[in-house]
Amino acid sequence: MFFTPQAAFYYMAAASVASAILAVTRKNPVHSMLWVLALFMHVAGIFLLLGAEFLAAVQVIVYAGAILVFYLFVLMLLDLPGEVARPRFGPHWPFAVAGGLSLAALAWLAQVETISPAHAEVATSATVEISDVGWSLFGAFALPFEITSLILLAAIVGAVVLAKRRPTAS
Amino acid sequence: MIEPRMDVILGLSAVLFGIGVFGFLARRNIILMLISVEIMLNAVNLSLVGFSRHLDDPLARGQILALFVIAVAAAEVGVGLGLIIALNRNKPGAGVDELTKLKW
Repeated sequence: MFFTPQAAFYYMAAASVASAILAVTRKNPVHSMLWVLALFMHVAGIFLLLGAEFLAAVQVIVYAGAILVFYLFVLMLLDLPGEVARPRFGPHWPFAVAGGLSLAALAWLAQVETISPAHAEVATSATVEISDVGWSLFGAFALPFEITSLILLAAIVGAVVLAKRRPTAS
Repeated sequence: MIEPRMDVILGLSAVLFGIGVFGFLARRNIILMLISVEIMLNAVNLSLVGFSRHLDDPLARGQILALFVIAVAAAEVGVGLGLIIALNRNKPGAGVDELTKLKW
């Protein structure tokens, strides 16, 4: 059978890496945003394959639906006409490549050290269901959940205060 | 049914994180630098969900932590884009090269 979960996973992994690379290298910021949208959708697909249905829905609704639209909103509000003509990378970009490669290699080495290939198989019987996530979120993690609402409230107030037009005090 | 292996998931997460680091360090547009941070957060969420599945946690703690990461990312975007709008009012353009007022 062609469409196995394994094949779907490798397709989504390859597509997410490709769209992430395209997102950080495109010259037009709007094109970058659209590639990031593709990345978020493919990561949501990987969440589905891993049995995290609720998180896949949150990824699509909150990340792709709210956060990315907010980014596009501000990008179009600022209206950067000369952006395409400017150099996309700073003159130090080889150092950025080295930094990214070394951090990725560090994470890779850490997982090679800790995850032995014998234990690499993900648990095949998915016993965690979406209702377990709900019970956990409103049971054991109810206090952090409420604190999250405080963080979001502080962020809303902060964003309004920061972006408000003040009368010039000079 | 063969599931994706944990080392493959962590490797993918590491690669995505590296791409995000490169984008944050190399791009000169402040909005695209913030988007690179989002790519890094997504990579970390991927490894958290993978661990939650790998350990078969009955409380699904990896998924809960990933949910909190998404919520804090939303807060970060609100404050960060508010800062960018305030910055853009004083100094139009989104390049970080012109923002040298704190440089001595």
